[in-house]
Amino acid sequence: MRSEVLTLALLVGFCTWAFRVFPTRADLSALAPTGILARFLAATGPAAIATLFVASVMPWLQGGVALPMICGIAAVLAAYAGSRSVVAATLAGSAGYGFAVWGLAFLA
Amino acid sequence: MKTAAPSSTFLTGLAGALPIMLGYFPIAFSFGVAAVRAGLSPTEAAGLSVIIYAGASQFLALALIAGGAPVLVAAFTLIAMNLRHLLYGPALMKRAGPAARKRWALFWAFGLTDEVFGAALGALARGRQFSESYMFGLGIGAYAAWVSGTVLGAYAGGGALEGWPVLEAALGFMLPALFLALLLSIMSRAQVPVIAVAAAVTVLVTLIGSGTLGILAGMLAGAVTGMLRRITDAQ
Repeated sequence: MRSEVLTLALLVGFCTWAFRVFPTRADLSALAPTGILARFLAATGPAAIATLFVASVMPWLQGGVALPMICGIAAVLAAYAGSRSVVAATLAGSAGYGFAVWGLAFLA
Repeated sequence: MKTAAPSSTFLTGLAGALPIMLGYFPIAFSFGVAAVRAGLSPTEAAGLSVIIYAGASQFLALALIAGGAPVLVAAFTLIAMNLRHLLYGPALMKRAGPAARKRWALFWAFGLTDEVFGAALGALARGRQFSESYMFGLGIGAYAAWVSGTVLGAYAGGGALEGWPVLEAALGFMLPALFLALLLSIMSRAQVPVIAVAAAVTVLVTLIGSGTLGILAGMLAGAVTGMLRRITDAQ
């Protein structure tokens, strides 16, 4: 492994590890449940997941909303409504997307 | 009668990691392929996944290495990209409650990626109790999929999935499907404004700035919305 690649990996890896680890050790016991920081942290999770979902579909959206994506999203919604299972919904979404791609290729 | 909280063992954590593993493996495979195409050896590709373990910044690392960027400039860029991880630990521990143990956080929090954070938060929202064993199961499953996917991709080369375009497409949609499922699992009426603002700001800032800025701005805007909304409600 070249030294510059190893150096880069170690620098970035150490900082990323520190970003993930040290904030978990913050003492949150003094936070009032309705305080500003407590409210901020409570909203961080939903905001983060919404952001990551949007960021993950944006490459598809920038090419126009395509049928496979609509099928994939619909499959996630239907599977989650029926099962309340994240695993089932994820697999259904992926399968829905794949089947739509296959269907379009078959019709073309 | 009160329903008992689901158990939070290492094995239940590993089972909870399944959708993440299915999503990570093809992306890590793609990373391995891209790394070798960018001139890295399979060992270097695996090293990036083992040491950095942060997907988006690893792909950017390839571009920076291939482009000949100085190590410190590349490191600073990649470190800035991962700043969002600062928010995950406190948000997770807040949800876990004051009694949550964090003795081994030095180790399990290494695996606190976007998806592991989302899955852990979703599990807590569905009533599962926080435990470090569960976090180890969740994290190790995801990490194993990421590293093994990278290694296989680096050794297999670019043509491995060319004969299976539908499978390749389906695997490519695994992560968006996972994020949407996680979002549904923690969705409540009170969180709708937070989610709407986070989504809108992400789109806007990504279009006028960059994807990294969009993610950071979306998260912060959503969190601030949650904070301000309750202030407004209280008045």
